[in-house]
Amino acid sequence: MINELIYDFAIWLDDSAWSTLLHESYYMYNWVESIHVLTLVVCLGMLFMIDLRMLGYALPNVPASNIARRLNMPMLIGFAIMFITGILLFYAVPVRTSQSVWFRVKMILLVACAVNAYLFHRRMNESVSSWDHDTKAPDRIRFGAIFSLGFWSLVVICGRLVAYDWFDCEYTDSDNFSQLLSGCIAGQERF
Amino acid sequence: MSALGSTSSTSYGKTITVAVLLFILLTFSFTDLRYQTWLRLYEFFLWLETTPFGVIGKTWGAVFAVVEAIHLLAMALLGGAVIVGDARLLGWLFIDVPAREILDKAHKVFVVGLTVVLITGIFMACGVAGKIYWLPVFWYKMLALATGIFFVFFIRRPLLRHPLEEIHPRVTKLIAISSMLLWFTVAATGRWIGFAGS
Repeated sequence: MINELIYDFAIWLDDSAWSTLLHESYYMYNWVESIHVLTLVVCLGMLFMIDLRMLGYALPNVPASNIARRLNMPMLIGFAIMFITGILLFYAVPVRTSQSVWFRVKMILLVACAVNAYLFHRRMNESVSSWDHDTKAPDRIRFGAIFSLGFWSLVVICGRLVAYDWFDCEYTDSDNFSQLLSGCIAGQERF
Repeated sequence: MSALGSTSSTSYGKTITVAVLLFILLTFSFTDLRYQTWLRLYEFFLWLETTPFGVIGKTWGAVFAVVEAIHLLAMALLGGAVIVGDARLLGWLFIDVPAREILDKAHKVFVVGLTVVLITGIFMACGVAGKIYWLPVFWYKMLALATGIFFVFFIRRPLLRHPLEEIHPRVTKLIAISSMLLWFTVAATGRWIGFAGS
């Protein structure tokens, strides 16, 4: 049921002229993808510096709250542009992307990243005054940083794998388990 | 007096070295030497595909894809270190923290990121060596990368080893902006290799 809804929505997006224009435009599509990757470098670059500070590997003599506060804004700006360009990339190729198992795993991981970021900031704001100048953050903050590094690394890996067509509905048999995970629709004619 | 003379001769030595290197680079770029070198490199690129890295990269697409992702993650680490260091030089971030502290620590992170970028980059290049050889954007990326590495280790780091208050603020700002533009070019041309090869 949910897969049919996703498929119908993707077909509706795919039918719009702007989706086709974006997909067919060599320079526009590639620039959107380039901006997506470049802002990912900015966003994750800032995030890695914050997480590595909590783990004691980067800028250990700078107060943790200072690092988190100052790098938060460039990280969020990078994330906002990355998010917008990500939506545009989905809009350009909606059917194939929505039926990519890697894209689906990536979306779940992004939710995990958001929950982890919320918990990380809440825990940090509650207790940072007591360990702000310590080289390493307390265990529960460090676990949050490790989860953040792990989740985001998996997001990037899944994002990269979306480009590969190993498990595409178009190229797998109907009895293949990947078809279930990808949400392929029996008898679908558009991919 | 002798100490002053020694410092000044060292500075001239570096300036002369940079000037000679620039002269060699320009001679190489604007003469037939560049084309001849490119032709001779073809055999080397074909050989790269037969190395273990090349065989693994061509045989197992999943390994290649994961290495691509690690390359991107390392690029993010490198980018984070560059932005933090350069933003401090520009006075945008951490102005209440001594610049030396930020620059030295960010450089360590930069070196880790660069090392992983180079290792994963060599792996990927081996897997598709016969293809990227023909792509102008690949050579632009190599040029940008070589310039970036040269800039960091032979211009930026040696210059910033001096007390920052002795360096003209415009020079530090110029260094920071050049650094960001260089690494932006490296990342952007790297992404375009994928588009040009498809």
